[in-house]
Amino acid sequence: MIVFEHVGKRYGGRSEALADINFRVGRGEMLFLTGHSGAGKSSLLRLIMRLEKPSRGRVLVAGHDLDRFHLSQIPYYRRQIGVVFQDHQLLFDRSVFANVALPLEIQGVEPRESARRVRAALDKVGLLYRETALPIELSSGERQRIGIARAVVNKPSLLLADEPTGNLDPQLSADIMRLFEDFNRIGTTVMVASHDLALITRLRHRVLRLREGRLVGDEEAA
Amino acid sequence: MTRRTTSPESQRPARRGARASQVGLESRTRAWLRHHRAMWLDSAQRLAKRPLSSLLTMLAIAIALVLPSGLWLALDSARLLDAELDESATVTVYLDTRLDERAAMEVAARLRDQTPVAGARLVTAAEGLAEFQEGVGLEDALASLEDNPLPAAVVVTPADTDPDSVRVLASNLEAVDGVDEARVDLAWLERLRRLAELGQRLALALAGLFGLGVLLVVGNTIRLAVESRRQEIEVVTLIGATHAFVRRPFLYSGAWYGLGGGVLAIVLLVLGGHWLSAPVTALAESYGAHFTLPRLGLGGSVLLCFCSTLLGWLGAWLAVGRHLADIKPR
Repeated sequence: MIVFEHVGKRYGGRSEALADINFRVGRGEMLFLTGHSGAGKSSLLRLIMRLEKPSRGRVLVAGHDLDRFHLSQIPYYRRQIGVVFQDHQLLFDRSVFANVALPLEIQGVEPRESARRVRAALDKVGLLYRETALPIELSSGERQRIGIARAVVNKPSLLLADEPTGNLDPQLSADIMRLFEDFNRIGTTVMVASHDLALITRLRHRVLRLREGRLVGDEEAA
Repeated sequence: MTRRTTSPESQRPARRGARASQVGLESRTRAWLRHHRAMWLDSAQRLAKRPLSSLLTMLAIAIALVLPSGLWLALDSARLLDAELDESATVTVYLDTRLDERAAMEVAARLRDQTPVAGARLVTAAEGLAEFQEGVGLEDALASLEDNPLPAAVVVTPADTDPDSVRVLASNLEAVDGVDEARVDLAWLERLRRLAELGQRLALALAGLFGLGVLLVVGNTIRLAVESRRQEIEVVTLIGATHAFVRRPFLYSGAWYGLGGGVLAIVLLVLGGHWLSAPVTALAESYGAHFTLPRLGLGGSVLLCFCSTLLGWLGAWLAVGRHLADIKPR
């Protein structure tokens, strides 16, 4: 699903954010990406989302060399990836329902079909009863779950999460991770960047360890 | 639309996949139209939510539109006046003072037979004197003269009022026996035409400048709108929105601003026309002319609105294009 071949990334004149990264992720896998802040986790995810191009090497996702995409193809590529952000990135001027429907609106899904899928996604994260609420009325855990609902509403084949439990207490964090495992169980490839080592070790999935832009560990699921 | 990338539709179970490919283009067109309709409404609602600032923007556009279109209208009416003046373009042929009245009539008849002449009216020396006295108010001074100093004249109306052909006609008329001088007073007519031409160029230049002004006004407003919706733009870009999708609501906002500005400009032109019409008519009457201020009419109004909407749309397009490049999702 994801292939990194000798990938390096340098921003301006500063030292390398990523250096000679090599790994493969199979379809339907679930794995964690860990390391201290500044180790390059976010840079790596940004490369997969094609927000940036690598300075060196190749990134392939679902068989596509991301470097070869024409600018106009990138939006269509991104529609296949669900992304969960640390700060959830919800739009505060519209309801929970409208937020989750956003990816479907972008893809031009028929309103009735869209409503059905939005409710299914909200039901999955256990917040169907909040569909008319505004994001401001929700707790941070609820907001994160809405963010997840939005990321999975168009049934992406790849789900990326950047520190999805960053601001949550351990109980809520465990709930969120369980959600990701559920999506993985139905075939979605899931990659979660997190520095919450205690949580990661408990969950027993493959872990990629980054330190100062280098891949220093690739531990298979125990 | 989904070129090399496989769409999520095709990755779903076959039951749905078959249906999805069947509806392909039609459903995409429907989705496209749906988004246009949604953004058309949404952008109007956003404008209505902040009526005062929207109105001020539209007013700024309207003021920029009123000046060139007002000038254009004024020139248009000057052209009408010009056509009326064309008809009054005449050649005054002064006859030899030694001719008596009968000889003068014969010359007038000869002049009437010249080819490009539409008509010739004889003004005898006596009639000329009477007219002169009446017009100038020098009865006493003229009455003291023993002889009538004025020659008989024939006022010739040329068939072709083009300045050059009138000039040729005049020289031909001068060659006729018994004619002393043929005078063409075209200078003022030409001056008027030049003035009108100058005005037209001025109006075009103003239209260009103020059109640019409209672009800037809309561009600046849209720039602020883009800035205030920055997070939204970042989010939708992250989840796969195309540039066209992001641009659409702003283009509609720009078009609305333009349309509103155009309508306000028409209102201003109508109000201004009413306000000026009484003194203008009075002024024209004092010159013995019939002149009323021109109206924009339905066609003109539609054209003005169309142009302003287009300008608004264009301004928004330029502004969004310029600022979308700056917005990179973090």
